[in-house]
Amino acid sequence: MREVPVENMFIPAMERSPEVDFRFLGNRIFLRGEAYPEDAAAFFGPLLKRLSAHCDAIRGQELQVEFRLDYFNTSSAKALMNMIQILENAVRTGTQVTLRWCFQKDDEVMREFGEDFSMELQHVDFQLVEI
Amino acid sequence: MLASDHHRMKLESNQQGIIFSFNGFISEGILFALGDALKKKMSQDDTDVCTMKRVFSVFVEQAQNIIRYSAETLAKAGMEANRISSGVITVGSEAGRFFVVCGNVMRREEALPLQARLEKIRNLDPAGIKAFYLDRIRNEPDPDSLGASLGLIEIARRASEPIQYDFLDIDELNTFYCMKVFI
Repeated sequence: MREVPVENMFIPAMERSPEVDFRFLGNRIFLRGEAYPEDAAAFFGPLLKRLSAHCDAIRGQELQVEFRLDYFNTSSAKALMNMIQILENAVRTGTQVTLRWCFQKDDEVMREFGEDFSMELQHVDFQLVEI
Repeated sequence: MLASDHHRMKLESNQQGIIFSFNGFISEGILFALGDALKKKMSQDDTDVCTMKRVFSVFVEQAQNIIRYSAETLAKAGMEANRISSGVITVGSEAGRFFVVCGNVMRREEALPLQARLEKIRNLDPAGIKAFYLDRIRNEPDPDSLGASLGLIEIARRASEPIQYDFLDIDELNTFYCMKVFI
């Protein structure tokens, strides 16, 4: 079987979608900004697919993930939950995952979302970070 | 007449603390533009960050509910993201609190399940709303939902008191659905 070359994934931030900076080559994943795209499934679908495939490919390695979000709507929240479930499953198959959930000082809404999502995680090293 | 009619309309809106009120066909583009104006207005008024985020979130979810669920909709198959639908959406402030009101026409048979969901959410305390949100986000959306079916729970979560809603049957097939939320 021929190995598929690893390629990074970068999508600049738009008015209502976050910056996607998936550095698969260095095992570092960043998502920054606001997320309420017109079609959340179309925006997040390819991200989930790439992330899932990458987690399968790097079993046993370390993966660092950082979410730095200011706002997301409920359709995007669903996609973020799916991403978090992919990370939790990756740990079960031997990948060491760290998730940094960054929120602005005084942003209680984003802090609470971090706490909500952390309840879904048993194996991922979760860090709630005020910035 | 032209000026006096519209001036009266504007004064009444101002007296009710309305920041803006939109009535007509709404698209995702209009949602973005109204949301942008709302953020700028709240920011100029030195609204605190948390309140701004709560108001903005309720506005986005309500506007997307109109776009997705109004019976008065223009959508082509496969072009759902370009859907435009008719409704009203108003944002204002009353006695120091922001409110968001939305309304749209819907089929009477769809009103019953919606009413049941609204009533269920209305009767939950904040901890119950949070638990319901987490349960819904973990599990798959309702099959008839175009979104994650989380929108109403998110709205209730950002509200400072139970959501108000009302239905008015307008003919044999249709009902006008309306919701008001204080933040």
